[in-house]
Amino acid sequence: MKKSNIVLLVLIAVAIGVIVTVAGDFSTYETFATARQKEGKEFQVIGKLDTTKTMEYNPVKDANLFRFHVIDKTGETRPVVFYGTKPTDFEKAESVVLTGKMADGEFKCSKILMKCPSKYKNDQVALGKA
Amino acid sequence: MDTKYIGEHLLPGQIGHFSAVLAFVAAMVASVSYFMSVQSKEDLLKDSWKKIARWAFIIQAIAVFSTFGSLYYALYNHYFEYKYVWRNSSRDLPVSYLLASFWADQEGSFLLWSIWHSVIGLLLLRVGKKWEAPVMATLSLAQVFLGSMLIGIYILGYRVGSNPFLLLRLAEENQGLPWVANANYLDFIKDGNGLNLSLQNYWMVIHPPVLFLGFASTIIPFAYAFAGLWTREYKEWIKPALPWSLFSAMILGTGIMMGAAWAYESLTFGGYWAWDPVENASLVPWLTLVAGVHTLLAFKFSGHALKSTFFFFFITFVLILYSTFLTRSGVLGDTSVHSFTDLGMSGQLLVLMAVFSIPSFALLIIRRKEIPTVVKEESTYSREFWLFIGALILMISAIQITFTTSIPVWNKIINGLGIKKLFGLEQDIAPPADGALHFNQIQIWIAIVIGLLTAIVQYLKYKDTPKGFFTKKIAIPTIISLVITIIIGIFGDVNYVAYGPGLQYAIYVMLFASVYAVVGNAMYIFIGQKGKLRAAGASVAHVGFGMVLLGILISSAKKEVISIDRMKMLDGGFFGKESKENSRENLMLPKNFPVQMGDYHVTYAGDSVAPGDAKTYYLVRYERRDPANGNILEKFTLHPDAFLSNKGQQQLTPNPDSRHYLTKDIFTYITAVPIKDEASDTAQYKSHEIAPGDSVFFANGYMILEGLQPQPQNRNYAAQPNDLAVGAQLKVFTKNNEQYNLLPVYSLRDNSYEVVVPDTVSPLSLYVKFSKILPKEKKIVLQVKESDTFKDYIVMKAFIFPFINVLWLGILVMVIGFIMSIVQRVKANRSKTIQS
Repeated sequence: MKKSNIVLLVLIAVAIGVIVTVAGDFSTYETFATARQKEGKEFQVIGKLDTTKTMEYNPVKDANLFRFHVIDKTGETRPVVFYGTKPTDFEKAESVVLTGKMADGEFKCSKILMKCPSKYKNDQVALGKA
Repeated sequence: MDTKYIGEHLLPGQIGHFSAVLAFVAAMVASVSYFMSVQSKEDLLKDSWKKIARWAFIIQAIAVFSTFGSLYYALYNHYFEYKYVWRNSSRDLPVSYLLASFWADQEGSFLLWSIWHSVIGLLLLRVGKKWEAPVMATLSLAQVFLGSMLIGIYILGYRVGSNPFLLLRLAEENQGLPWVANANYLDFIKDGNGLNLSLQNYWMVIHPPVLFLGFASTIIPFAYAFAGLWTREYKEWIKPALPWSLFSAMILGTGIMMGAAWAYESLTFGGYWAWDPVENASLVPWLTLVAGVHTLLAFKFSGHALKSTFFFFFITFVLILYSTFLTRSGVLGDTSVHSFTDLGMSGQLLVLMAVFSIPSFALLIIRRKEIPTVVKEESTYSREFWLFIGALILMISAIQITFTTSIPVWNKIINGLGIKKLFGLEQDIAPPADGALHFNQIQIWIAIVIGLLTAIVQYLKYKDTPKGFFTKKIAIPTIISLVITIIIGIFGDVNYVAYGPGLQYAIYVMLFASVYAVVGNAMYIFIGQKGKLRAAGASVAHVGFGMVLLGILISSAKKEVISIDRMKMLDGGFFGKESKENSRENLMLPKNFPVQMGDYHVTYAGDSVAPGDAKTYYLVRYERRDPANGNILEKFTLHPDAFLSNKGQQQLTPNPDSRHYLTKDIFTYITAVPIKDEASDTAQYKSHEIAPGDSVFFANGYMILEGLQPQPQNRNYAAQPNDLAVGAQLKVFTKNNEQYNLLPVYSLRDNSYEVVVPDTVSPLSLYVKFSKILPKEKKIVLQVKESDTFKDYIVMKAFIFPFINVLWLGILVMVIGFIMSIVQRVKANRSKTIQS
């Protein structure tokens, strides 16, 4: 067997090894219920902003504290604490992906990814205001 | 009933759409004719097919330019009857951003790509010679597909492409709306939707053309490789393909890094690279292209690695198409912050990918036995062997990045094939929670190996290297690099313990690898090439690459957030269990109130707007003082800015501002500002009964009642003869160790009525009233109010990026190296043609 073929095989093995290792980093989109079962473990939860509850962000008191409520896929509403500023356009987000963990009945998250309504829906031209 | 619409400009649209369709048809004629020209046996037939093909391609190119011109004309004149114009521009958009509008959307960017293909094609007509026909056949076919993205015609009930000249009133989402039937509807459409605020940036004008030239140019190595397979001239194609592939690697790399520079300078991802799927998708083809360039060189000088060269050039273009699919099909919606919106063309994009990948790889497999190979095994001490290894390492890097980036695709496949049910999986796969760490911990090892190879491999000779030769030559650069690394390690204070000792160790090794790559290649110019700069393109490019690695390493490992909010740290936040999630990276700055941040005292000094500019600029003053005597050592002002509203809606779109030093950048951007027109102040006064010496706490500090002062002097209080006045002498201490004196006054006028004169600390919005004296308890009543709503403040983040200039300079050096190599290869090719 040629040396380059051996190297090729070794590297393919390395590549597979790498992929298997890093695939351990992959997570799944979960619900508050699973996050509650394993308190303190980090999860990604998809949900919607609960617009019936108030949002709280007061930079004068604490610039790194933003509280709101999210309804997850199963319909469970939870208070959420985000340690950062309130993201722009947060109210308009169609859905949010929260990365964080459950503690004391609150979901404490360090990252928010917002899914904004597709540009298309906004494309409809409303002429009422003209 | 047909409505006769008033005021529409239909001509540019008609010309534009006609040109788009013409380009599509002409590209078909060109590709078929070029194909026939290659397949024909007789020279006469070959030539006549080629002649047809040439004309068809020229017509195609003219039509593409005409499409471009028409769309630009409509944009320039604000013809909002066109949906594309309405959607992506507005009247107040500066003319300089019109091009940004042009390629802000799918159709425009396809058109840009198509233009570059046309330009490259016209060039190939001149320089292609005998390779013209087979190469242009592939290029023309690509033009057929790109053209099809723009025609927007229904074929067999399936809408092919999206017509950028679609009229607003004919757009699907507006059908049935009442205004559509209105003949003078244009009177009501005064302005367009406008360009996305984060795209209103000069980088958006210059980055896409370069990046798309990079995309467009990857088809040339692909087409040459395919032509080689197709015409069974397995070796000859590499000579003309080499300068093209160098060019392509250079432009694509530049385009990607311009995107990084844009992200760094104007966007608020907090840096130049975020491992976002869109970034990854364009990086991966660059990696495989660079791998291909290296195996090509290995083949050219040793005869080995020809098959892998085919593979790498094929996979590069296929990955470009895959990245196009990822960013344009809407599949990345959940995972990326900046992909295009779905135009419903996923099917078309998949077909495009299949059309180019299946024939090329199929032909490679079918004809693999015909591809010449060297029977003799390569020596371990040969350059080609290690070039090949390096290429495979790059491939591993590409595989890992692609694997993670494709998570949304895996989800689609898993759902589509019903595998999810099979394994009882309930949830979709999500990308790693800490994406940057996920990529960094793998890619750093790849960067280490690549860095080391970059340093060493030039010192090896093709075929075989005498052992003494290699060790003798490599010794000095190795020792120098070790010394430099140790110096940087000790004095540069490179410690990155955030993720444990494993990554820390890797960072030290990578530090050496990247220094080694720089030093090794810089010295090779003198050791290996005896200072002949003309032939040193590769060494120069590799020096640049080493600098890029070094710059990335230092700026990321030593990146420091200085805007840490230390005020709330003591109440449980910082040392508590929440400290990991709550890194307190946002700092609130009240107006005119210095706050300590790292080595600096930072003051928000107000905001300003300029006429004709939609942005608000914030003045942030930085001051660095000598800790010993308080003298100002350094002073500067940054102007981070932000769009505060978008079409009347409250929205913050910030752009950072940086202070550049040779060795570091201080990078500042706004993360929140108060909504100024909010309803009136709702804060209430709170009463405190205190005796002298007592203190009262408020949100930002506390105040001590030092004593009572008869005959008080307060700028708001004018003493009158019959006043019996007392002032409460207060000392205010803030959490920032700032001190203020307050003297609210209580006075009994004419023995009958009370006059209360409050005092304020305006930067704190602190209002203090002295409202009563309680003689029995020897106390007074103090009323304190902190207003939040009237307060003017900003919330910002600030980072220090050390040695980021090494990265930018490295890119520049790399580009120069590429240009030197290209010039050298083109010259070499020319002189050989003249000789033969």
